[in-house]
Amino acid sequence: MIDLPRERVLAAASALRSLVDRPLKFMEVCGTHTVSIYRSGLRALFPEGLSLISGPGCPVCVTAQEEIDSLLRLSERKDIIIATYGDMLRVPGSSTSLAEARAHGASVRVVLSAAEALQLARETPDREVVFAGVGFETTAPATAAVLLQASREKVRNFAVLNLHKTVPAVLEVLAADSELSLDGFLLPGHVSTILGLRPYGPLPEKYGLPCVVAGFEPDQIMAGITLLVLQKRRGISGVQSAYPEAVRPTGNRKAKRLLETVFEEADSIWRGLGQIPRSGLKFKAAFSAYDARVRFGISDLPAREPAGCRCGDVLAGRIQPFGCPLFANRCTPETPVGPCMVSSEGSCSAAYRYGRGDRL
Amino acid sequence: MKPISLSQGSGGRQSQRLVAAILEATGAKPELPLEDCALLGEGLAVTIDGYTVSPLTFPGGHIGKLAVCGTVNDLACRGARPLFLALSVIAEEGFDENELLGYLGDAAGICSGIGLRIVTGDTKVVPKGQLDGLVLTTCGIGKSTRAAPLGIPSIQEGDSLLLTGPIGLHGATIAVLRYGLESEGLVSDCAPLWETIEPLLAFDGLRAMRDCTRGGLATVLCEWAEASGLGIEIDESAVLVPPPVISVCDLLGFDPFHLACEGCMLIAVSPEETKPALEALRASRYGKDAVKIGIVTENHPGWVTLNTRFGGSRILDMPAGEILPRIC
Repeated sequence: MIDLPRERVLAAASALRSLVDRPLKFMEVCGTHTVSIYRSGLRALFPEGLSLISGPGCPVCVTAQEEIDSLLRLSERKDIIIATYGDMLRVPGSSTSLAEARAHGASVRVVLSAAEALQLARETPDREVVFAGVGFETTAPATAAVLLQASREKVRNFAVLNLHKTVPAVLEVLAADSELSLDGFLLPGHVSTILGLRPYGPLPEKYGLPCVVAGFEPDQIMAGITLLVLQKRRGISGVQSAYPEAVRPTGNRKAKRLLETVFEEADSIWRGLGQIPRSGLKFKAAFSAYDARVRFGISDLPAREPAGCRCGDVLAGRIQPFGCPLFANRCTPETPVGPCMVSSEGSCSAAYRYGRGDRL
Repeated sequence: MKPISLSQGSGGRQSQRLVAAILEATGAKPELPLEDCALLGEGLAVTIDGYTVSPLTFPGGHIGKLAVCGTVNDLACRGARPLFLALSVIAEEGFDENELLGYLGDAAGICSGIGLRIVTGDTKVVPKGQLDGLVLTTCGIGKSTRAAPLGIPSIQEGDSLLLTGPIGLHGATIAVLRYGLESEGLVSDCAPLWETIEPLLAFDGLRAMRDCTRGGLATVLCEWAEASGLGIEIDESAVLVPPPVISVCDLLGFDPFHLACEGCMLIAVSPEETKPALEALRASRYGKDAVKIGIVTENHPGWVTLNTRFGGSRILDMPAGEILPRIC
């Protein structure tokens, strides 16, 4: 039996060998791409000159230290159950992590969806349930839908600590970074199914950078990279989709409507990149009753990132995981110093779990 | 106060460190490298394991079957025929007695099927809330008649690595129940493997066996590479991962190599006896899908590499801490 995906990967690898005749540096924006590339060992198939660097596409990783600390402060309250996606559990805050807080008695529950967090609130009416709303355009519509549901049902003991961020604005910041001098972006498939292709327009138009949306299978990633190289060779730049089966040019209207109903654009702080205009979401006034910061009277306090940790530089593409002096020394998946080593989508974690073989 | 975290119980490196701390505190000097079952001389083998699983019943098994199969497989790994079993039951106040007897009845059925006798036991009931339902502990005693010892020190460069069946089925089945997903026809592979591996004991070239439980196939491979000081090279496309396991892993961000198996054994055998060993396994009840998945090499000592199905290559590591579902 022919293994079609394998054949497609090998065909693309051979095409890339003849197409790449100068150094090219693309950024894969999404953490799922990063993991897929490492896991399938694609790097071993890249021709010399072609390099892929990981971008700020791991939601846990880009969550700012002050935001993590706010979550941890909420977890100290006995009347609160924190409901969170599993990835957040081990992210170190300034003094502890949710996993450690749980071992010391805090109520922390791992959920797979915002809806599950709301269900937890219905089942425990005598406790406050705070959902850690993390993620990009992929998870924010689900948070919005659940918030609308909670407000319809008048569930009073449910709140969201909103940590959501949005992708397009941060890419412009990276595109404008002359030190980084990228040759193009491999754009995330899932985010684009929501957004469509239009929000990426400024990247080719203002910065002349080729952009290709790709799916997450190794053959889809190789196809995406090939299209990026072809744009580059032809001296053109545009937003192209190599993932038409999932991404419509206009995106997902229903999800976008959900976002517009509940949230409005806001500035947001990204680890390593600082405050970026229009890169986050905040609750509209009508939903402030469900805002955990409002309900429990907390605000994000300035926090210092762990000493020596260079996650910020990794997220901004300024260094590769191997370039951090803590990598695989003090910082490993078992004893992570920074979030990029914690999250399964983090580029340090992927480089540690799958990539150390490059140096054997 | 140094609270023990859940990640220390999930297999992988943090579990290894807790075990090392316990060994130090107790001054115990077990035979190294650690195996799941101790050989006491004159072929006598002993193993003990505590079983908690949530939920207690799952497609393909329940806590009673899990306890017996786990003990049988730990003895079988060292080439020991399972002979005697001691069984401890700790139940929470209010637990359904009929349910308990159902689990133990099934467990006894598996025992008698392979000639394993339950010879002693203990029963405790603790106040409600002090335990989540039921904990079973089993201690198994077995006897090996093999002259050449089985275990990590016997593994040699050039050996073939065989797997008795597909990976990830138990872990994926439990994950589906725990996170409330659709079951998609997943069934745990929980099975007693004594009869499956018994024919292999006649092979001089049989080196080591290990059931790929907590921490999955990756953990066993890494432990073998690290403890033997040899390298291991695995061919990804040879490892059978059932489609429903792949779906669960895609959804939750798990690696099938990290998911627990309860009826799948990794076997190291000399190159000369690889073919007959595979034939013997494939003729057995739980070894129909047995395959060769890789080799032991002198390259990259202490490391496991995986040749991916896409022609690339990467390392294979054990899971770090508790296996947690990702965000998106």
